[in-house]
Amino acid sequence: MAEPVIPDFGRGSSCVRENGTFCWDWVNSHWGDTLRPALVQHVVLTLIAVAVGFAIAFTLALIAYRRGWLTTPVVLVTGLLYTIPSLALFQLLVPFTGLSRTTAEIALVSYTLLILFRNTLAGLAGVPEEVRDAARGMGLTRRQLLWKVELPLAMPAIVAGLRIATVTVISLATVAVFIVNEGLGAPIYAGLQQTFKTELIAAGALCVALALAADALLVLAQRALTPWTRFARSA
Amino acid sequence: MNSSNTAQTEGPHAYPRAATLELRNVRKVYPGAARPAIDDLSLTVPAGDICVLVGPSGCGKTTAMRLVNRMIEPTGGEILLDGASVMERKPAELRREIGYVIQQIGLFPHQTIADNIATVPRLLGWEKQRVATRVRELLELVQLPPELASRYPAQLSGGQRQRVGVARALAADPPLLLMDEPFGAIDPIARHRLQDELLQLQARVRKTIVFVTHDIDEAIKLGDRIAILREGGVLAQYAPPDELLAAPADEFVASFVGRDRALKRLALSRVGELALLPADGTAHGDTIAPDTSLRDALSLLISDGDRPLAVSDGNGGVAGLVSLELIRGALHG
Repeated sequence: MAEPVIPDFGRGSSCVRENGTFCWDWVNSHWGDTLRPALVQHVVLTLIAVAVGFAIAFTLALIAYRRGWLTTPVVLVTGLLYTIPSLALFQLLVPFTGLSRTTAEIALVSYTLLILFRNTLAGLAGVPEEVRDAARGMGLTRRQLLWKVELPLAMPAIVAGLRIATVTVISLATVAVFIVNEGLGAPIYAGLQQTFKTELIAAGALCVALALAADALLVLAQRALTPWTRFARSA
Repeated sequence: MNSSNTAQTEGPHAYPRAATLELRNVRKVYPGAARPAIDDLSLTVPAGDICVLVGPSGCGKTTAMRLVNRMIEPTGGEILLDGASVMERKPAELRREIGYVIQQIGLFPHQTIADNIATVPRLLGWEKQRVATRVRELLELVQLPPELASRYPAQLSGGQRQRVGVARALAADPPLLLMDEPFGAIDPIARHRLQDELLQLQARVRKTIVFVTHDIDEAIKLGDRIAILREGGVLAQYAPPDELLAAPADEFVASFVGRDRALKRLALSRVGELALLPADGTAHGDTIAPDTSLRDALSLLISDGDRPLAVSDGNGGVAGLVSLELIRGALHG
């Protein structure tokens, strides 16, 4: 017996066909071809931006810690970068680096610099003077003082900076879709241009979940790295 | 290129247990300062002695101490440790051989007590097992329970932290110890106990110690020799406590040691050290122990109707009597 001929509305379920608010089965069927690749790209975009931003800001902070005059110009320049609207910054960069991932990364990195620089420097400056004095008095060299005492003690402030920078980049990286069709910005943008909203909602939720997960991961990392902070300083 | 400097990685046993410290015409003038912070300071601390640097604030006592381990570089003069100039050493290497204790202690908040104490031994490259053994020894030496080893400084009381600071300074068995007002931030009762403990500790380890304080009573109690500095880093007098109290060099020293200097001197001697008056028969009333200070004996004498006091011999008998005249005689003898 032949199948009755039914008009083909696509392979979607009844929820999709009836344009439901949120369709789990769409998420299920498009996880592999749309959402998961976008999520992975988003993670990569974020990791590169935070890693490069941290390398630059950390190095600048170490130099500024020794040469105080550098602090003001670095804060001014990174502060200026921070204030440029992301879309405008993308437009400014396109003539130089084109519609490329590099353009997106440059913009994302520039937003991490101020917070990472300031927090690293504040962490180093917050090391108690008597701790530094005792360390020098016991014969630690400058390098040993930095790596064995000052940086470990600055760790909570540095991780706090990384948390803010990471969450900021995860959120901002969605806008990178105007430059490269990568990351969770792609399904969000696609979702915005159709009446069917599941793609938009799913991608947006993934973005929020990613930010929360990254933040939680950094908190756990900090607890593992700074066990002493659990004990309130009483003196 | 071969360096003539023999790297000291073997640890403390190659060091003398205590070193002689000599300052010769040491000067420190800060750039732009009108007056020197330390002016022509010369003094010798014999090995194994406690030298207390004392004086009013701004007299340069801390500066003088910090010149020794080159936390501050001198402008002129010589500082010799067992005859060798500290200026010929690399500062970091020199400091690993000199114990360093400061008022705020400066324990590393991110390290356990054991790791704090192990700081210098690890810098010197000691083996793990040797470091662990040394940490246990030191906790015992400063009378801290071994279970504190795995705690963090924030979990300890002020007095415990101060003891850890001393243990950390002694870790590599340095021949010289610098202590900058180590008990200054501790409440008076705990401070007296820590002072007593330091003296007991010193009886065991016999280090050369340079101890900075602004408290003349602490100086008298702890010092084998006391250096009184006046403003501008000028040495006013350098003498053992008894000599300082008996014969202050000038009005400044006299006023700094206080008008009760006779009483302070009496506090330095015990009744058992006197040639007591013969006791006439049996003891009437209470006796005092032979280790009672002359100051306390005097207090009892003037409050107790001027009768000579019987001093016990420690075996239930009476060793002799102490009178006002005897105590007065001790001040002038």
